[in-house]
Amino acid sequence: MINYFAGVDIGSTMTKVVIYGEGIRAMIIGPTGPEHRKLANKVMEEALIQAHLKFEDLSYIIATGYGRINVPFADRQVTEITCHAKGLHSLLPTVKTVVDIGGQDSKGIKIKDGRVVSFVMNDKCAAGTGRFIEIMADSLGVPLNDMGRLSLTADKPAMISSTCTVFAEHEVTNQLSGGETLPNLVAGIHESVATRVASLVKKLNIEPDVAITGGGAKNIGLVKALEKKLGCPVLIPPEPLITGALGAAILAKEIFEKYTKEGQVPERSKSGLQEAKFFD
Amino acid sequence: MAEEKKGRAVATKTAASIPKFVRGNLAATLKAKEEGKKVAYAYIADGQDEIMRAMDIVPAWGESFAGVCAAKRDAEKYLQKAESDNFSRSLCTYATCTIGFDMVREELGGGAVPDAPWGGMGRPDMILGSAQLLCDPRFKWPQATQHYLRDVPVFVGSMYYPPFDPKMDHHEQEKFYVKYATEELRECVKFCEKHTGKKMDWDRLAQIVELSDRTWDLFIDTYELRKAFPTPMDTGDAMNTMVPLTFNLGTQEAYDFYKQLYDELQQKIANGEGVADPEKYRLIWAAGLPSWFALGDFQYFNSKGAVFPVEVTYRGCEKIERLELPKTNDPLEHIAWRWVRYWTHWYDKARKRPGSLPKVERIIEYIEEYKCDGVVFHSAFSCRSWHAGIIHQAETLKKVYREIPILILEGDIVDISSYNEADTHNRIDAFIEAVDSYKKRMN
Repeated sequence: MINYFAGVDIGSTMTKVVIYGEGIRAMIIGPTGPEHRKLANKVMEEALIQAHLKFEDLSYIIATGYGRINVPFADRQVTEITCHAKGLHSLLPTVKTVVDIGGQDSKGIKIKDGRVVSFVMNDKCAAGTGRFIEIMADSLGVPLNDMGRLSLTADKPAMISSTCTVFAEHEVTNQLSGGETLPNLVAGIHESVATRVASLVKKLNIEPDVAITGGGAKNIGLVKALEKKLGCPVLIPPEPLITGALGAAILAKEIFEKYTKEGQVPERSKSGLQEAKFFD
Repeated sequence: MAEEKKGRAVATKTAASIPKFVRGNLAATLKAKEEGKKVAYAYIADGQDEIMRAMDIVPAWGESFAGVCAAKRDAEKYLQKAESDNFSRSLCTYATCTIGFDMVREELGGGAVPDAPWGGMGRPDMILGSAQLLCDPRFKWPQATQHYLRDVPVFVGSMYYPPFDPKMDHHEQEKFYVKYATEELRECVKFCEKHTGKKMDWDRLAQIVELSDRTWDLFIDTYELRKAFPTPMDTGDAMNTMVPLTFNLGTQEAYDFYKQLYDELQQKIANGEGVADPEKYRLIWAAGLPSWFALGDFQYFNSKGAVFPVEVTYRGCEKIERLELPKTNDPLEHIAWRWVRYWTHWYDKARKRPGSLPKVERIIEYIEEYKCDGVVFHSAFSCRSWHAGIIHQAETLKKVYREIPILILEGDIVDISSYNEADTHNRIDAFIEAVDSYKKRMN
């Protein structure tokens, strides 16, 4: 009999669910949205449908990410730092340094045998996060998904000197009016984010292999810029958005098996698959 | 308008008496005029405490007042006031908070400031600045203050200690630094004599210095009780109990406070009373001033079973016998030796461990003695002196000692705009998970 486990990662921008048995059985990625506290159960329902399982089939559930406390049916909450390390180690075991570029923060994590050795986070300024690129894409009228590809056609990335997102937006529109090409501007935007992220992660004393996760990993222009700033190649897992949810699911499995081995049953959440009631 | 904020509990009854202590210090500066006493703006850890006490000068501690403003979340009006006169937000916020307060007080005619937290500070008759190696803003802060208090005389002394060089024996150099520091203190006495119109009573000074030495000893004896399992007091309380040592050195009240704390901690140990129940993780607060507006974060650590039995911050003393001070009949020379040796007495140890530094050696010593599982630093952006070296210390610690979990919190001492509670707690959560994993691995 196979036991199934779930990891729910409620990030600031995207919500991810992974159901794990002897491998990934289902994964769902969707926007978090403003009502995310109420929607965790709906995302889980979708994942269960994809996995052809019932909620009762899940032996243990871990919630992670910024919204982790708002998942009433989760049996335990674990931070995204621990879950990213665990998930990434299962996908790319040689990686010692993880760079996660999310919607509203960026992080660096040093890992050893799947465990966190140290970490750094940028959560005070949008300039080193995916949000910076989103705002600039909006300003330039370029679809977010086209930013990476467009930047690869640049001949000379523009210099974006402002570190504040609001001022940088103004600077970008000024340069556009001054005749700078769109590819050069987009490449400059990626270099600006990569510079901020690299200076954050370098505090960790980077060791290869280095991997990138989060929405930033889906932007090839940003990945190339980051490789340049870090001075080493950067690995990308097959689906860079789910490493946190995957790590949470694997951790759920490990905790469950540890208890079982000791002849015990881990304590479960008493809430079933229901929405959080915080705002009612 | 000050933000409403829940009160913060402290673990010891003695620590709970600290607000009265701080209010008393502030009130003394306002009452001084009626009592015919002189008030001096003073700066912590400057070696001038005993001189002021011996000459009945009432110290007004800007660093304490700024901390009170921050703790009451009522500093913004003073920070903005200073900013309106072109003081950058990136400057020391202790300095800008008190300069902003000075500006407000001068606009009101120099008397009491009605809405100042805990009554504010009285207008000084002199400014006794002291820069030291540990705080570069204190070279300019007194001078900047004088810009608004034109009639107030300023003295800025400085007491140095030999810089650490692993290839150099500092023992040969110490005496030159002591000679320099002694002369600086002598100049301070002359300055105080001139502006108080009184002569220094050298016998009284010697008695006060002797009382300070006993307070240093008692402080360390008391704090070393925290090695117990579970620890009876953690850094959350120590950020309060540092007040008598830091702001009331050379007074009987300070000595009596630590006697009371010593007795209470002994009782707690006898009863097996700890700060966290159960105590799961022991951490060291390895460097950095705290965010005074977020002291409740220590309780957040406690809620996770984490306690701080030891901290580097505000542990500005050592057992006198461990410093092996040369004998002297000159109380100023004694203060100078005490100051220099306080810093250099980790140098020999640091030299023995290749690649180490005295500050790192001190952290290692505390980790070993207090059995710590993790290290927390606080990088306060406006406190350059500490902020700048923290990553280097953390890296060196890992290199010369071991791969112990380290958390570097980021914020400020006074400026609350630097702080986000949810993100800070998220970092603490992740760190506790790393410490838990580390402990399991080590076991």
